[in-house]
Amino acid sequence: MGIQILLHLTVMLVLAPLLFGIIGKTKALFAGRWGAPLFQPYYDIIKFFKKGNVYSTTTTWIFQVAPLVYLATILVSSLLIPFGGLKAPVYFWGDFILFIYISGLSRYFIIIGALDTGSSFEGMGASREATFSCLAEIVLALDFIILAILSKQLILSEMVGGTILSSWPLFGPVLLLVGLSYFLVLLVESARIPIDDPTTHLELTMIHEVMFLDHSGWDLACVSYASMMKFFVLGSLFVNILIPFHNLSAILQTVVFGVGMIGLAIIVGIVESCIARLRLNRIPELIIGAFVLALVGLLIILIKGV
Amino acid sequence: MWLELVLILIIFLGILILGNNRLGSMIQLFALQSLLLSITPLLIQPGLHAGIITIVTILLKVVFMPTLLFWAIRHVSMRWEVYPLIGYGKTLILCGLLMAIAFLISSKLDLPDKSTSYLLVPSAFSIVIIGFLLLVSRFKAITQVIGYLVMENGIFLFALLLLEKTPLLVEIGILLDIFVGALVMGIVVNNINQEFGSASTINLTNLRD
Repeated sequence: MGIQILLHLTVMLVLAPLLFGIIGKTKALFAGRWGAPLFQPYYDIIKFFKKGNVYSTTTTWIFQVAPLVYLATILVSSLLIPFGGLKAPVYFWGDFILFIYISGLSRYFIIIGALDTGSSFEGMGASREATFSCLAEIVLALDFIILAILSKQLILSEMVGGTILSSWPLFGPVLLLVGLSYFLVLLVESARIPIDDPTTHLELTMIHEVMFLDHSGWDLACVSYASMMKFFVLGSLFVNILIPFHNLSAILQTVVFGVGMIGLAIIVGIVESCIARLRLNRIPELIIGAFVLALVGLLIILIKGV
Repeated sequence: MWLELVLILIIFLGILILGNNRLGSMIQLFALQSLLLSITPLLIQPGLHAGIITIVTILLKVVFMPTLLFWAIRHVSMRWEVYPLIGYGKTLILCGLLMAIAFLISSKLDLPDKSTSYLLVPSAFSIVIIGFLLLVSRFKAITQVIGYLVMENGIFLFALLLLEKTPLLVEIGILLDIFVGALVMGIVVNNINQEFGSASTINLTNLRD
């Protein structure tokens, strides 16, 4: 148990920044540049860890705790999801609700951390993050409900595990809809381009990134590392839903999972290169679209019966 | 399995059309939807009959009508549907609700032929509803034409239930009717634009000598 958890966390800690490296490389190649090295996110995190912290006098202890809580919640939520051959080390009946609430908790802490600085700029980002993520949470819950009905399980790692394989021939359309709507949720939650531009520090383009403007040193390292791992966790759920590979041997599963994750990073990079960021008031429409897609999936299950 | 995937993609494209505010990409999405639609007869019942319908549908709905619509928007020089009657988010929510009703109704329907696919009737209803929402919630004449055509796509899906029972001539006649309808609407849009200087249908509610 202990070793499993350690292994799980190590895999994620080591590989999460690589995905961001791949996304950056894809975007650079699309733009006709050579781009930053593949391991640039690692160098960035190491650089941040070497720096000291600077705290504004208006901030309180909440500001210092928030990055740690953010990091911790992401680490805990990763334990509920299988990574290829590695089974989920922690599981119990109904843990998909825990998954939703843990991501709620992490969001709550980064929001109050941002509000704690007293900067109106960060307050704006916090307000946007709260609005969009509370809309996206409904879609995420609906996706989980569909998966739970299909697999007749309430354990997250079982919902996306072996039973999804038998669902594909019968419920392929439903899973396609779930995958599409979950992909939009993934983009909202990890603040990627049609929703939010993670590379700029301009006032009007920021939702997620703006909340970390006052963080420095260790705190900044924690926060950006945690954001990368959040993408890894959500992405691995996506790969688990869309690529049914659960009857293979453990090594093959891991290989398929790894290829799937790299493919996801490349897809996200391509999406970011092809699409411009949406206007802020169009984002709820995108999330409503994702909701309607998931709703159609649910309706199909209801009229067909499992 | 393949038929159902295609039907889901058709619904997905319908939702995309509904949430779009660029006329050009709406027409492109409509053409893509029609292309997927034209494959469905072959998936239901492969054969000469279905093949001819597929070819005629592709010619009319994927080639001619989008070209006509593109010609119309170039002629009227408009790109955006700026102020819809009902906002985009609200239209999408309405679409979800109406689709739920459509799915419930079609599960209650007692159809003679259940052999094709459980998704065919609900998705036909959903596409009709999407087209209907486009018709009632937008002001621009071109968007209304697209709404009408999307609605017709839904009716086409519904008619697939009777694929083997309908004579070929009748089906091609229906398709030609629609083509003529779209042609007339294209000309009407052009005339509205010449008369009022814009292709918004709000102008048509005023009476004058």
